[in-house]
Amino acid sequence: MCKGDIWLLAPGNLGCYPPVMGNPGPPEIAVETTGLTKRYGEIAALTDLHLAVPAGSIYGFLGPNGAGKTTAIRLLMGFIRASSGSARIFGHDVWADGVAARRDLGFLVTPDAFYPDMTGAAQLDYLAHLSGKPPVLRDRLLETLELGKDALRRRLGSYSKGMRQKLALTAAFQHDPALLILDEPTDGLDPLIQRGFEELLRDLRERGRTIFMSSHDLAEVERTCERVAVVRGGRLVAEETVEGLKRLQRRTVEVTFVGEAPPELALVPRVTIVSREGRRVRLAFEGDLNPLLRFLAGHDVADLVLAPPRLEDVFMAFYGEDERGPGGARGAPAVEAQDAATEPDLVMRR
Amino acid sequence: MTVLRMTARLLRRGLAGLVALLLGVAVFELVNPFVADSLGGPQGLEGILRSLPPALQAFTKSQPEFIAVSGLAGYLSLGFTHPLYLTLASAALVGFGARTLAGEMERGTIQLALSRPISRFQVYAARVLGVVIVAVGLAIAGPVGMLLGMGLAQPEGTLEIRYFVPTALGTLLLFWAIGGLTLLGSAASSTTGRVVAWATAALVLFYFIDYFATLWAFLEPLEPLSIFAYYDPSQSLVNGALPAQHIITLGLIGLGGAAGGLLVFLHRDLPT
Repeated sequence: MCKGDIWLLAPGNLGCYPPVMGNPGPPEIAVETTGLTKRYGEIAALTDLHLAVPAGSIYGFLGPNGAGKTTAIRLLMGFIRASSGSARIFGHDVWADGVAARRDLGFLVTPDAFYPDMTGAAQLDYLAHLSGKPPVLRDRLLETLELGKDALRRRLGSYSKGMRQKLALTAAFQHDPALLILDEPTDGLDPLIQRGFEELLRDLRERGRTIFMSSHDLAEVERTCERVAVVRGGRLVAEETVEGLKRLQRRTVEVTFVGEAPPELALVPRVTIVSREGRRVRLAFEGDLNPLLRFLAGHDVADLVLAPPRLEDVFMAFYGEDERGPGGARGAPAVEAQDAATEPDLVMRR
Repeated sequence: MTVLRMTARLLRRGLAGLVALLLGVAVFELVNPFVADSLGGPQGLEGILRSLPPALQAFTKSQPEFIAVSGLAGYLSLGFTHPLYLTLASAALVGFGARTLAGEMERGTIQLALSRPISRFQVYAARVLGVVIVAVGLAIAGPVGMLLGMGLAQPEGTLEIRYFVPTALGTLLLFWAIGGLTLLGSAASSTTGRVVAWATAALVLFYFIDYFATLWAFLEPLEPLSIFAYYDPSQSLVNGALPAQHIITLGLIGLGGAAGGLLVFLHRDLPT
């Protein structure tokens, strides 16, 4: 039973958790950036980033390599100083008031950052001490990530990359912080453990924790995040709920009519005819599907193929041009990606 | 408390190497009384030193006239200016200062602390404390080794045990100056190798300014630019003297280096 003093509990007790932050009630915004910019001489690594991450959410931060994700995260952590603009965590400026900003924070360090001469257990104890909070979630994390006690007794030098990643995750989460900043958290984890980890993220969100994560695994982001920000070339190009982004995505529908395709089809709002082969018509549409469905309801349709919206398609729409490059397509054959990539800012920017 | 814990972690990391260097310093000084005894005491030492060419006398900072007057204490003080002694001590200080700041930035290890509610000041203070502890250890190891050697070899001649205190203090100040300058280089750099290279180059330059200023009169004006100009263990071990100018200069060099390093570290970006 929890009796107020949460710190008397044994580590790993799943029934009791410390409150989020010391203030009464969590603040509305966990992470906020205003015009955050980082330049290295003439090179702009990040330009004018405006973000507001709601407390108690899982927030995805997406972009290909070099888009500015890691720069943004390093700015949030106070590892580098902004050229202009500001970043705040729970209302505290990350540079001027960094200690307060990091008081209830968990950060996933790169797995190579650990001291190789320490055992895993000693490493976790040391980091728990530096965090100033007891490792109340450690046992659950070790179980979820399948990092055994035997492994913890070994020195880091003998760990595989996956084991180091698990240790890094445990170190970031073990003190049950109000905010977690994670850069590629499931890199190196096998799919089964990855699913368990996602379950843990959802559980933490249910208890009011905020998770800000970058990931290359779009399926994972789609499964776990409510909102995402998409960056390209150091600039924010979209910030939306996952469902909202998918709704905005230009999608294709393949309709096979019983008879000839009706010529009025071209007049349906937000619908473009991409190709026509006899009775089969390939259409592209944006936004609300209902006008098209209402139109089709008035005609005899033999078949209709509508692929479910996927975050990957949205992502490829943003990056299709960059990804294809001179070497040709790389897993981006979709016509819709090609089409939408022509004016993604107009389509997606809010 | 957090600073102390971080310092303990930093010291533990390279403990084997550090202990080896401390032992090396102690053993080197332990051997000196045996050497003095085997050379036939102060008279024998003076004769041998007189036979050395001036360049070698300067290199070992040994002046036969001084040995003639100072006897055993004068000879044993050479153990604190010997290049091997200074190399061993500098290796410990530069190695620690470079590894724990630039090295941790290079590996990303410094993120372990800086992603917690710990200020850059605290992270830096842990390194400064570590440098002070290493410097104190080195400054004590030499005299302790020599005292042990004296007890075992019992060479002919007199030596005031209490004069080891100003000798150790002067040595500590030199090491503090080296440590402070290393911290400045370490805060400004992002790789261990670069810090070690710059610190080694600077120390060699300081040493040879001091060395050549003894040989060539036209270099004498440059001598105050060397930190070794403010390090005179012979006067300390023979007379118990430790000039205030030496204390102030070396103390300020160390403090200036450490403070400069702090300013750099507080404002710099961590490397990727």
